[in-house]
Amino acid sequence: MRRSRDARLAQGDSVRAPPATRALRAIAIVALLAWSLGPVAVGVVTSISSQTDVQTVPARWLPDHATLDAYRALIAGASTSLGSTASDSSAFGQSMLSSVEVTLEATVASVAVSLIAGYAFSRLRFRGSKALFWAILATLVIPVFTLVVALFRTMAQLHLINTQLGLVLVYLTTQAPLAIWLFYNYCRDLPVEPEEAALIDGCTRWRAFRKVVLPQMRSGIAAVTAIVMLLSYGQFLIPLLLGSSPSTTPVTVLITDFVGKYTTNYPLLAAGGVIALLPPAIVAILLNRHIRGMLSGSVG
Amino acid sequence: MARPALKERARARLGFGPLGPAAGASRPTLAREEAWLGWWLVIPAAALILALVIYPMVVGFNTSLHAEAPTLGAPSKFVGFRNYSDVIKDPATHSAVVHTVFYVAIALALEIIAGLGAAVALHRPFRGRGLVLAVLILPWALPSVVSGVLWRRILASDNGLLNSVLLQLHLIHTPQVWLASGWAIPLITLVHVWGVLPLIVLILIAGLQGIPDEVYSASAVDGANQARQFWHITLPLLRPALAVAITIGLVDAITIFDEIYVLNGTGLNTASVVVQIYNTVFVDADFAHGIAFAFLVAAATALCAVVATLASRRATV
Amino acid sequence: MSGISLKSVSKEFPGGSVAVQELSLEVLPGEFVVLVGPSGCGKTTTLRMVAGLEEVSGGEIHIDGRPVTKLPPRHRDVAMVFQNYALYAHMTVRDNIGFGLRMHGMRKDEIRRRVDDAAQILGIVELLRRKPRQLSGGQRQRVAMGRAIVREPAAFLMDEPLSNLDAKLRVEMRAEITNVQRRIGAPTLYVTHDQTEAMTMGDRVAVLRDGVLQQLGSPEDLYDHPANTFIAGFIGSPAMNLMATRLNSADGRYIIDFGRSQIPVSPAVLQRLPGLAAYADTEVILGVRPEDICDGVQTRDSTGIFMVTVQRTESLGSERIIYFKPEASDGPQDGAPAALDVLGGRKGAPLTARLGRGERINDGSIAHLALDPERLYFFDRASGVAIR
Repeated sequence: MRRSRDARLAQGDSVRAPPATRALRAIAIVALLAWSLGPVAVGVVTSISSQTDVQTVPARWLPDHATLDAYRALIAGASTSLGSTASDSSAFGQSMLSSVEVTLEATVASVAVSLIAGYAFSRLRFRGSKALFWAILATLVIPVFTLVVALFRTMAQLHLINTQLGLVLVYLTTQAPLAIWLFYNYCRDLPVEPEEAALIDGCTRWRAFRKVVLPQMRSGIAAVTAIVMLLSYGQFLIPLLLGSSPSTTPVTVLITDFVGKYTTNYPLLAAGGVIALLPPAIVAILLNRHIRGMLSGSVG
Repeated sequence: MARPALKERARARLGFGPLGPAAGASRPTLAREEAWLGWWLVIPAAALILALVIYPMVVGFNTSLHAEAPTLGAPSKFVGFRNYSDVIKDPATHSAVVHTVFYVAIALALEIIAGLGAAVALHRPFRGRGLVLAVLILPWALPSVVSGVLWRRILASDNGLLNSVLLQLHLIHTPQVWLASGWAIPLITLVHVWGVLPLIVLILIAGLQGIPDEVYSASAVDGANQARQFWHITLPLLRPALAVAITIGLVDAITIFDEIYVLNGTGLNTASVVVQIYNTVFVDADFAHGIAFAFLVAAATALCAVVATLASRRATV
Repeated sequence: MSGISLKSVSKEFPGGSVAVQELSLEVLPGEFVVLVGPSGCGKTTTLRMVAGLEEVSGGEIHIDGRPVTKLPPRHRDVAMVFQNYALYAHMTVRDNIGFGLRMHGMRKDEIRRRVDDAAQILGIVELLRRKPRQLSGGQRQRVAMGRAIVREPAAFLMDEPLSNLDAKLRVEMRAEITNVQRRIGAPTLYVTHDQTEAMTMGDRVAVLRDGVLQQLGSPEDLYDHPANTFIAGFIGSPAMNLMATRLNSADGRYIIDFGRSQIPVSPAVLQRLPGLAAYADTEVILGVRPEDICDGVQTRDSTGIFMVTVQRTESLGSERIIYFKPEASDGPQDGAPAALDVLGGRKGAPLTARLGRGERINDGSIAHLALDPERLYFFDRASGVAIR
């Protein structure tokens, strides 16, 4: 008779799940991997296919002749079988740059503002801190689109429509409350004694923060930076609503324009998609442990 | 060690002033320092929120109570809540709300079932777990419009992969235009869920890992098999995490926009409430109604979130 | 006026709870004073007020003659060792120890010399390049101490530094801390909940309960002359037996009821505690330390012998702990003494005796034990205050 899990535990045997469970789990894991990577794989494969490959019905899974035509068209504006894309390719390159620029600026600003606020709310006592904290968090319930629609007039008055600065400011506003919440929770879990030791060792509050607490927060800062980066890069509704000039259009907006323009040119669209997903994919993979830790830790 | 002499020298070197009661008078107390620093550190965030959230919201609400100005610069008439009632009575709103309800229902169902399954499969350690989880968060990390572009190939009408697979399996005989059919909403929801699921799974994994092993051992001794353990132990103890996951999934689904826009544009057959707001503001150029609509949806979302949180906290097994 | 001086220091938290009530005590230069008491008695709060980490609600604190009550920690010239070591995880041991000196702007070569000296004293010279996470608990504690002594502060503060160490390490570190303190010579305030630490390390010990100072004195003072039943039960392990009993007088002699037996109070005790006379023929609380009860068979003085029913014996090899009930004449209702465990125990709990090596006494058997008639403590029945 098979011994129960507890009996095995009691006798010091390894407690691996029974084979049936393990097989099920393996199937689930494979399914999850396929599900997560599938569309990306499809995109990659499509981007190296030719138009003819794509137009066969039923579609061929792998192209007959893999080709980098789509990428050439997109990056270099070369005239290929996919048609002439000279102006669009420079626009694409421009928008990638623009996205990265806006993302970096918005991320630096968001993290800086939220880091100090999150620390202050969690560690420092000052009058009105609780009320202000909940007020800031309350703005999280306001859906982004409501805020942006409301902001539209104000932004127009400030001549910030279609500008990069306008975008960065709005990203900052929508992302700061979440980042503050993440930093607040993160700081609460850090031991407070090293900071106290620094105060006794001769630091002012600010110095103790710079020399002891900030280094303590390193992994949290990395995590929030990654999350904010991904959020900023992926913004679509805000730049769509607030408008952007040709030189400041983020790639998320541009790519939907392409979808409208090159409706069935799947290889080109897929190539655009693949290039566009590279920055967030790299960030997500490099910092995935930090991101996971921060996301699951702050809402559990 | 000659203590007094050393102490004097050290004191001088350490920068202390002359001894005596007066020395302490002008220096700030710790509490005052704390308050001072605290305020300075939160002022940037507070100013930002005040200027770019509170103020526009108030102004926006005011705008929603006025009719749209006929020409730019002309004074607008105060009409109270007429914009709101216009929006509520508009049939386009109704269909958008109906669509949104479908989006939410399908999304939540998929997220809970798939999310629980994935979380159960992934929360215990196994070889390669880190890698699997890293791949898992990829869909969440990508911008939703990019996801939409990737999924287009799959969902495309004539030569999309979905059609091809179904044709080859002989489940359909001609390629279907999915995004114009009754399947549009479920399929768009699928794309949306593809992007949100990683977050849900992470939250549920955290919840599962919060359940101590001893509880399972105790129940096993008490005679529970795996299925009963799941129903009577895992699910109830998972309730707080489930509550958070459901609330997030709910709010995310109500505000769905990007995927719809990139897969089917602003077409009315798949419009969600946010798509409809977009239509009102940018296609119809009716700012006043648009902003009233936006406030309505915001209120409804907040209400749903509160109800969802309370309901999942209150329900007992 | 040197050393650490607390004058009527109080701490009240918002919400009304009073953590410390009008506490006054002095730590003389070079002295090692231990603040001890059960959890929540206010000892850590007091220490933090001296450090400047908590605001003082009332009273004054002076360090080395200077008033520091309103000053932030960095202006008080104190050093503190925390329970969790509180080391700076991102710095090396050397940088950890030298941090305070760098903050005060000391010259680099001077810092280096001091850090080396401190490392020498504490035996951690090989660890200077390592980071805290590479150290064991005991090593971390030494680094924490190094950080404190290197500043040559006017006062040392220690918050339960040994609580996180295992028992054996604790005994070792106890001696180290005392040695280092004697060598450095700064007045030290040491907080602990462990009365053994208090008794073995302190020059003087202050016992706190619910924010109120119960007694301040040398360890011997606290042991021989506890001021009330709380201290009597707190100091010494196993705890002193405390029971309500009647003090009978007959012909100028005093006799206590003790179960079926009657124990005479020796004249020496009467001389020591003249106030006892006022309690003749009333109920008092009698205190007897377990170590002052011995085997009745072997004792020479037969006046203190009584019979008991042994409930349980714990044999530690070097000694035996006996849990017993003094044999009552007719059950508890018959005026037999109810055992009063003042530290929160139940009425009717057994008494404790500590005997030397010997054979285990079977549960339920009758034994003869003897009190030492000179080593009796008396306390007021109502207030618990010691009768002097």
